Amino acid sequence: MDEEPERAKRWEGGYERTWEVLKEDESGSLTATVEEILYQSKKRRVIKSHEQVRLGMMRHLYFVIDCSRSMDDQDLKPNRLTSTLKLMETFVDEYFDQNPISQVGIIITKNKRAEKLTELSGNPKKHIDALKKAVDTPCVGEPSLYNALSLALNNLKHMPGHTSREILIILSSLTTCDPANIYELITTLKSLKVRVSVIGLSAEVRVCTVLTRETGGSYHVILDESHFKELLMLHVKPPPASSSSECSLIRMGFPQHTVASLSDQDAKPSFSMSHLDSSSGAGLSLGGYFCPQCHAKYTELPVECKVCGLTLVSAPHLARSFHHLFPLQAFLESPTEKLLKNRFCQACQRELEDKTPVEKHTWSQTTEKASNRRMTLKTAEKNGEPSNHNSGDALLLIW
Amino acid sequence: MKLNIDGLLVYFPYDYIYPEQYSYMLELKRTLDAKGHGVLEMPSGTGKTISLLSLIVAYQRAFPLEVTKLIYCSRTVPEIEKVVEELRKLMEFYAKETEEVNNFLALALSSRKNLCIHPEVSSLRFGKEVDGKCHSLTASYVRAQRHGNPNQPVCRFYEEFDAVGRQVPLPAGVYNLDDLKDLGRRKGWCPYYLARYSILHANIVVYSYHYLLDPKIADLVSKELAKKSVVVFDEAHNIDNVCIDSMSVNITRRTLDRCQNNVDTLQNTIQRIKETDAAKLREEYRRLVEGLKEANVARETDVYLANPVLPDEILKEAVPGSIRTAEHFVGFLRRFLEYLKSRLRVQHVVQESAPQFLKDIFDKVCIDRKPLRFCAERLQSLLRTLEITDISDFSAVTLISNFATLVSTYSQGFTIIIEPFEDRTPTIANPVLHFSCMDPSIAIKPVFQRFQSVIITSGTLSPVDIYPRILDFRPVTMASFTMTLARTCLCPLIVGRGNDQVALSSKFETREDFAVIRNYGNLLLEMSAVVPDGIVAFFTSYVYMENIVASWYEQGILENIQRNKLIFIETQDAAETSMALEKYQEACENGRGAILLSVARGKVSEGIDFVHHFGRAVIMFGVPYVYTQSRILKARLEYLRDQFQIRENDFLTFDAMRHAAQCVGRAIRGKTDYGLMIFADKRYARADKRGKLPRWIQEHINDGSLNLTVDEAVQLSKHFLRQMAQPFSQVDQLGLSLLTLEQLESPEMLKKIAQIAHQT
Repeated sequence: MDEEPERAKRWEGGYERTWEVLKEDESGSLTATVEEILYQSKKRRVIKSHEQVRLGMMRHLYFVIDCSRSMDDQDLKPNRLTSTLKLMETFVDEYFDQNPISQVGIIITKNKRAEKLTELSGNPKKHIDALKKAVDTPCVGEPSLYNALSLALNNLKHMPGHTSREILIILSSLTTCDPANIYELITTLKSLKVRVSVIGLSAEVRVCTVLTRETGGSYHVILDESHFKELLMLHVKPPPASSSSECSLIRMGFPQHTVASLSDQDAKPSFSMSHLDSSSGAGLSLGGYFCPQCHAKYTELPVECKVCGLTLVSAPHLARSFHHLFPLQAFLESPTEKLLKNRFCQACQRELEDKTPVEKHTWSQTTEKASNRRMTLKTAEKNGEPSNHNSGDALLLIW
Repeated sequence: MKLNIDGLLVYFPYDYIYPEQYSYMLELKRTLDAKGHGVLEMPSGTGKTISLLSLIVAYQRAFPLEVTKLIYCSRTVPEIEKVVEELRKLMEFYAKETEEVNNFLALALSSRKNLCIHPEVSSLRFGKEVDGKCHSLTASYVRAQRHGNPNQPVCRFYEEFDAVGRQVPLPAGVYNLDDLKDLGRRKGWCPYYLARYSILHANIVVYSYHYLLDPKIADLVSKELAKKSVVVFDEAHNIDNVCIDSMSVNITRRTLDRCQNNVDTLQNTIQRIKETDAAKLREEYRRLVEGLKEANVARETDVYLANPVLPDEILKEAVPGSIRTAEHFVGFLRRFLEYLKSRLRVQHVVQESAPQFLKDIFDKVCIDRKPLRFCAERLQSLLRTLEITDISDFSAVTLISNFATLVSTYSQGFTIIIEPFEDRTPTIANPVLHFSCMDPSIAIKPVFQRFQSVIITSGTLSPVDIYPRILDFRPVTMASFTMTLARTCLCPLIVGRGNDQVALSSKFETREDFAVIRNYGNLLLEMSAVVPDGIVAFFTSYVYMENIVASWYEQGILENIQRNKLIFIETQDAAETSMALEKYQEACENGRGAILLSVARGKVSEGIDFVHHFGRAVIMFGVPYVYTQSRILKARLEYLRDQFQIRENDFLTFDAMRHAAQCVGRAIRGKTDYGLMIFADKRYARADKRGKLPRWIQEHINDGSLNLTVDEAVQLSKHFLRQMAQPFSQVDQLGLSLLTLEQLESPEMLKKIAQIAHQT
């Protein structure tokens, strides 16, 4: 892929025995091909995603970022922390793009403590700003899984039952310093249906395996930066909802964007509610979204009304959330010999190769991504064009 | 699934099979067909036990006249239990598939301590106490006394068994130790005697090595087992040492003092009996004249102190006159004891052969060879006559009499070494007489001679050709199997240099070298930062470990390591070690991570498995050579050279490498497991060392991982651990290292399987 992050200078890397990775395998079986296995599991994932499952559409996700000593390690360039934060930024963007009615909060853990970087909210800007600032955090001490999890749990447990509660941990360290028995916490998490997933930056740690297995999350360990990104992006898709999660009707507002012209005498510039508490925000403006219930003004959607607590979204947001329920059909695999004339991908013009490990496949991954995008209703721009919906509330069944 | 192994229908209780299991069964079948012995090496965690059991059971069913019994010997009680559980699975599978009631009887046998259900006796803590107490309740004369005196306590479980238990054979089925105890409680029969009685007609017996190898017990338990049995020694990489230990005797001054007390007690008892019941002694005398054969027809419970292996012709002879009467025998023992005491009073080390010793004893105290040979037998008879109930007190005098019999029976293969003090503490007098067996084949010879097939198997038997040489037998098959893997889940690395290019080695000259110690510390430190959960580090000896750890403490390395992981240390104290182990496992479990520092040849290196996260890496600091200055070892090496043409160095390297392989093998206990194996000594890179590692480890050592620096090793480990952390499921193994029946029967797979076994 073209966008694969460029590696730093070769001599900065460790001893990398690149020639061994490329080893030809004559016997065909004995030497392990981890790539092959990865590739297979990826394919399985693609095929599996087409089963009819309930997805947790409204997500509440807490990130836990390990900021311990081991994040200083330079095996990701320039170091693990910077690399992680940068990937997180793209992830947050992508996440809100695909799950507009969901929320995210960030927790960092270091020095045996855990602290909140951002509260749970649906505003990507705030998170990205916080992530940008976090680059300079000094990485010291050990992380504490227990503290981080219980901090996240204390916030998540008040979330309504029809939403999914998730925690995603980026763990670099191989140890955790806990004040109490973490297995008790794991059972609590399980009983509260919190799904914990872990992405490890160094190796498989037992306690994470148990943690993810018990809570139904996934556990992956990165191989390199591009794999890291791939693993992160796995979490963009909403997870299957547990069968026992509640169904409930929730109220949502679909406010209309009103643009008042200066000529209009009645139009008075006003403050957006979302900017009231943050000093940095824009000041007065004329237009905006007005909550259909209490007429509080917001400049951005989606948002939860500060005054009356109504969830304000636009129709494209909902549509984008729902497209996960109706994914594209899987590509059919066919040998290249069958394609006599057309050996190039129609979308990206790559030559098609025969099936061997690592994306040598009759369809190119670039295309896959592009076609996914098509579904996300590109017509709707990120921050919400004026929607065609009538102003007023609607009831929405979330399942 | 049902397999066709070379024409034999084998029921295999799992849906999938590893290719090497199939290959293993083929070899085994060949061995049984030839009615010969075999040496088979197959990596741990590849299902050795079930392959063995499935094939042999199938063989027994197909040819009931050829093979009547399977005797499966394992080392520890947990291992025995594991075997029985596998067997149970197999039998359930048979029952399901054939839908007929099979009359297979399989049972485990262990010591009284593990089987006793008598409320008082079983609460005793030590095996010896249990045995002694049991004897005092079940000996024939105790039971005879009960007829006259109803208050005499006896064991009701034994009484019940004796009355009823023998008539009804144990119903067919699979019995582990707990099953036997349950059955015993239900029926009120003694499980120990029930098991001992039942092994005679059982199809499969699972018990400890000692029941076959230790002549003192073997004679008692395994004497009547059929010749057409198949004997399997599992985990047999140390079998030569077991043989040697079972035939060796160590005598210290304390033993002699206790023996003196024993003899005094004997004397007093004889005196008392003489006054009250002289007829009894006369009766004994008569029996002894008639010969030992008759004396030997005793009830099973009395044969508690059996003799070491005595040639059959001796049993037919009468006991020599000089020790026939009780007083004379006690006097004889006294003289022998005084002689031993005088020998222990030496100031310098003495080494002599058995004939030299016999000549000396004849010159000094006029003890002839012949009465010495009968010493053990005579003592046993005396103890029986005197009706001494608490027999556990007499262990010292038994030891001495065993020694007397052994030293006069074998002129070859033994040596006597008397050391006035230990090498480490030359100022403290602590004289020890080692009567040391140097030839493991002596103890195992009866087994090879008696049984039609003996299979020696383990995860680490390399090089396989040395075992037939030191055990002195001719195997019909010798094979070493590899592990077929869907992913390379073991990563052996040989670290030969530190980051500053100092050669790493535990050899004697550089042992105290600070640079080496520092670099070892560095290796552990860096590894502790990249390896998750548990690391087990092995040192060559306790002394070496103490020195290194002290030095690391001074240099501050220990402190740095503790920032990454907790540190636990194995000590010579068993209770302390098991405590450390428990805490170590806890730390691995809850994510804190831990390092266990232990010693090759210690308890940890042999018996304890570090599956999955309990051992993600094993670091072997140095080559675990045995302490070469020991006189016993020197004598043994000399013997091996003279008798078997095995060079000293070959044997030492072989011994060191099998222990190193045992240590690093602790980490990999199956195909889904993974682990690093770090050999931190530059000598491992040499072909003579590397070539003696098991084949399944050797084939993963490539030229690139031969002489690494610490940094390089860390980079490779990081890469390896990340690769291994990728999701891995059974589906990925299918077709490569895990086969269904159809896959197994495909021609190319059969061809591949043929390559797995490595014949030598």
